[in-house]
Amino acid sequence: MRRMHWTLNRALAAAALLLGVAAIAGDPYRGSTVRIDTQELATIVSTEVDHVTPRELADWIIQGRTDYRLIDLSPAPDFAGYHIPTAENVPIALLPQVGLARDERIVLYSEGGIHSAQAWFLLKAQRYPGVYILLGGLEAWKDEVLHPVAPAAATPREDAAFERDAQVARFFGGGPRATTAAADAGAPLGSPAAPTAGIAPPRPPVAGSPAGSPAKKKRKEGC
Amino acid sequence: MNAPFYKFGAFGDEASLVIAFVIGTGFGFFLERSGFGSARKLTAQFYLDDLAVFKVMFTAIVTAMLGVFYLSWLGIMDLALVDLVTTNLWPQLVGGLVLGFGFVVGGYCPGTSLVAAVTGRIDGMVFVLGVLAGIFAFGEAFPLVKGFYESGDFGRLTLPQALHLPYGLVVFLVVVMAVGAFMGSGWVERRFARPAAER
Amino acid sequence: MSTVPDAAAGAPARVAAPYMNPYLGGVGLGLVLLAAYVAMGRGLGASGAVTSFVSWVVSLVAPGHAAANGFFAEYLEGGLGHPLKTWLVFEVLGVLAGGFISGALANRLSRTVEKGPRISVAGRLGFAFAGGALMGIGAKLARGCTSGQALSGGAVLNAGSWAFMIMVFAGAYALAGLMRRQWR
Repeated sequence: MRRMHWTLNRALAAAALLLGVAAIAGDPYRGSTVRIDTQELATIVSTEVDHVTPRELADWIIQGRTDYRLIDLSPAPDFAGYHIPTAENVPIALLPQVGLARDERIVLYSEGGIHSAQAWFLLKAQRYPGVYILLGGLEAWKDEVLHPVAPAAATPREDAAFERDAQVARFFGGGPRATTAAADAGAPLGSPAAPTAGIAPPRPPVAGSPAGSPAKKKRKEGC
Repeated sequence: MNAPFYKFGAFGDEASLVIAFVIGTGFGFFLERSGFGSARKLTAQFYLDDLAVFKVMFTAIVTAMLGVFYLSWLGIMDLALVDLVTTNLWPQLVGGLVLGFGFVVGGYCPGTSLVAAVTGRIDGMVFVLGVLAGIFAFGEAFPLVKGFYESGDFGRLTLPQALHLPYGLVVFLVVVMAVGAFMGSGWVERRFARPAAER
Repeated sequence: MSTVPDAAAGAPARVAAPYMNPYLGGVGLGLVLLAAYVAMGRGLGASGAVTSFVSWVVSLVAPGHAAANGFFAEYLEGGLGHPLKTWLVFEVLGVLAGGFISGALANRLSRTVEKGPRISVAGRLGFAFAGGALMGIGAKLARGCTSGQALSGGAVLNAGSWAFMIMVFAGAYALAGLMRRQWR
């Protein structure tokens, strides 16, 4: 009995060591770089699990979350003009060269949605696991987060919700726009309030106020 | 099919609860099987004459670590989508110390005390009550300790990142350390063995 | 190592089966943990479920108080429509079932108090409560207990988990001498 245990224990130890030695050469984030499963990509696209809405992103920034990287795909001059706080500039032409880490969630955005969608495929083709697209791009960010429109005939509940949106907008240096003005002017891109916010992760302006807003709150992890 | 299945939408929240129960059953089963339902077995590792609990714990870590590593290397699993509790160094160091005190004073940890309680150990049941009280006290004191709780924030940080070593190399080092410790544990157990009269 | 069941248990004292080979038990435990990562992308846990339970009880007794406390409030919002409808709570129900099944199969179900010969039952239960309370506080401070941090975090090489694990052993060995009377 004891002998048998010994040989079993030795076999387990040998297996562990063998796997351990073979592991030295491996990189768990690199995956298999050649094969692309187009069906799998198509499934991801159709289920839209890889989308981040502007409001979700706004909450992440306000909460100071650091578990993702926000990548602005615009050319450098556009990035200098305006970018979402905490974003890094990687013009799409440079994307294959910059060597983004694979072990991070990467959130992509561009002016509209097309460049970020194309960049998504570029990264997915290199088997990057966690790539997400800001839904609607910078335009949606400006419409929904920076300059939200007040609901026309608002119930008190909607008003409260809008007040929160307005707070978030002011946090990012924007502000709500009136319902009528929006109709003719479109997104007030060059409005004087348009910020050139710094890169540093900002702190919440009013403690706790925007944090409660999203319905999808990050569930507690661990134990 | 890509893992983690849940994160790729293979099933929804409701189904995940069924999976939670099944996985929990396996967890509880192997905890009890290995003697984790007994406070005397659990604390024996601190008196160095029976390191079985230590062996189980590190064998489990090595097994799961190798599994996660190879599945990710083969491209079956996306390691980036695996949840990592953020590293908040100071509260984790202090919390670990307090938890270590609680371990040798109470004889269990939260998971093992549940197994002990359900197999009839009265001290296990009392321990669970203690855990409830401790968590309640922590919750009540939370506004006071919030600053400390959030200090030392390194975000998502893995050992390979912290040590600036390749992931595979760290895996290898952990395996070598564990196997070395297992080989040494036999010697330690003999060295600290209690005289037969004391058992 | 086995403890003698007291008279209250009443069952005929069948011999408890010996524990599993620790390395095989460890491989089993590791595969369960791996299954959790593969299926869910998350590790195992225990104290999180207990926290959901505590938060829920607090919210029943004093709803306003629980909602105003950032700690309880976070756990109350964590469920799928109900504070107790969380992954960890269901996992812990499974732990209870699995532990019971294994204990029953191995004749290890017995109403006893685990302690050394040199301490009274009341003393042991007092230490069990105190230890549990320390464990609860430590687990919350460290964002997880031995299951969630040491085991689960250890396997995915979480830096904080390894720092935590070292401190757990440091704390336990530091007090082991003082606690000797309880166990030996």
